[in-house]
Amino acid sequence: MNYYLTYFIVAAGLFAFVGLFTMFGVYAERKVSAFIQNRLGPTETGKYGSLQVLADMMKMVQKELIIPAAADKILFLAAPVIIFIGVYLAFAALPWGPGLIPANINIGLYYIFAIISIETLGILMAGWGSNNKYSILGAMRSAAQIISYEIPAGFALISVVMIAQTLNLQDIAMQQGILSADKAKFFGFWDVSQIGGILSWNIFQAPHLMVAFVIYFIASLAESNRAPFDIPEADSELVAGFHTEFTGLQFALVFLAEYSMMFLVSMVGVILFLGAWNTPLPNIGSLHLATWTTGAGWGIIWILIKTLLLIGVQMWIRWTLPRLRVDQLMNLCWKVLTPLAFACMLISGVWRLWIM
Amino acid sequence: MSLVQAMFYLMAFVTVGSALVVAAGKNLVRSIFLFFVTLFGLAGLYVLALADFVAVTQIVIYVGGILVLILFAFMLSGKEALATAEQQKTKFISLHNLPAFILAALFLVVMLNVVFKADINNLPWIKTAIATKNVVPVNGTGINDIGVGLMTRYLLPFEVISVLLMIALVGAAHLSRKEPVEA
Repeated sequence: MNYYLTYFIVAAGLFAFVGLFTMFGVYAERKVSAFIQNRLGPTETGKYGSLQVLADMMKMVQKELIIPAAADKILFLAAPVIIFIGVYLAFAALPWGPGLIPANINIGLYYIFAIISIETLGILMAGWGSNNKYSILGAMRSAAQIISYEIPAGFALISVVMIAQTLNLQDIAMQQGILSADKAKFFGFWDVSQIGGILSWNIFQAPHLMVAFVIYFIASLAESNRAPFDIPEADSELVAGFHTEFTGLQFALVFLAEYSMMFLVSMVGVILFLGAWNTPLPNIGSLHLATWTTGAGWGIIWILIKTLLLIGVQMWIRWTLPRLRVDQLMNLCWKVLTPLAFACMLISGVWRLWIM
Repeated sequence: MSLVQAMFYLMAFVTVGSALVVAAGKNLVRSIFLFFVTLFGLAGLYVLALADFVAVTQIVIYVGGILVLILFAFMLSGKEALATAEQQKTKFISLHNLPAFILAALFLVVMLNVVFKADINNLPWIKTAIATKNVVPVNGTGINDIGVGLMTRYLLPFEVISVLLMIALVGAAHLSRKEPVEA
């Protein structure tokens, strides 16, 4: 029975983490955007406005739950829950450190890829259920965008899987450091299995994965509906897209889903390309930096730092680049990213066969 | 009753129940969204049958692909077109209640007959497989076997399917292309 109890505790812990991260993320986003646009951001509530998110949450909880008269009640009420659950379920398969993974499934990466697609369904549900033309336009744009960008993202992931030869995220993480069972080669010629650190990360084990990483990162921005790919909620044309009609707690759930999606895609990127929970510090001679900074506790710290850095880049991009038009979006996806991703996959095969 | 059995009955109940509501429901869009529950229950049943890869593939293809495409078609057609489609009298395949019921009942009889005649616990090929130890152990390497199988023994069917998909893509591109304006 204790066995099952652990599962519940882990699930509740992950949920608490997602909630905490969203609070942190919203505050960070407001401060980062303020810094980029030469403003101050929240300053009044608490020191440096640090209690702003808490105040916002109190406001959200108090708000009335409004269901539009013409809305499809069941779909409207279920949509935010499904959007969030789709993202939250994927957290089950993410490794946090050596031996620290909620569910060590052998097809972890494929599972995450599958479960994210539920979010599309939730967004379509929200769009249709709201019975509002802005919502439905936003939902359709979102679905079209997510379906298109799944293809370059998928091929970028496949090129990693071809190098790693496993779909198990914990194994992929293990191969990128000093705990690796097989040889890790820097750029394919220098054996760094004992040196570890940044040199044995996937993007340095096979340099074409740098291109794959950029493709994945761009596609992941589109999949989490973030600017410059935020045409589903383009404020200037669609009010707020598929979540126009949501208020109070439902709106909070949509927001929770957006921020957990940001964390999820960044963490998957870190696990596959940037060495997962492995330390960036290599062993230099008698200075065993990598050996000292590898372990369960260190693993959590490293993966959190790397993921938060990637999220920082996401925010930076959001507040710097203007929104793409629909046709530009599709051009980028089908004419640039998809062929490049195919090329990466091809190189991965050759690399695995002849160089590794 | 063990936990696995309880899970099986729960999943089976969810799958069959939601499928019934999908078939009987009046609201087409709600039916589609409920079909998602059916597919999810089915994926759960696959997991219980140790076919985790099939379960995840089911979600990727049906939920992420086909369901979303069906919804797209619905949303593009608009509410008025849907309302007329729901009230249509002359359907493409029109069966009255009684013949439909008889057809379904006869099919059920055939299926039950197969299930009872097959005697699943004593199939000869399963017995020989167990006797000669020609079985796949339950240790989570199913996906490796699938990969090796697809690239060796089942390579020809696999490639034939890819050609079929290619033809479908070419056809779609041809249909959606604008005809060149004749000078």
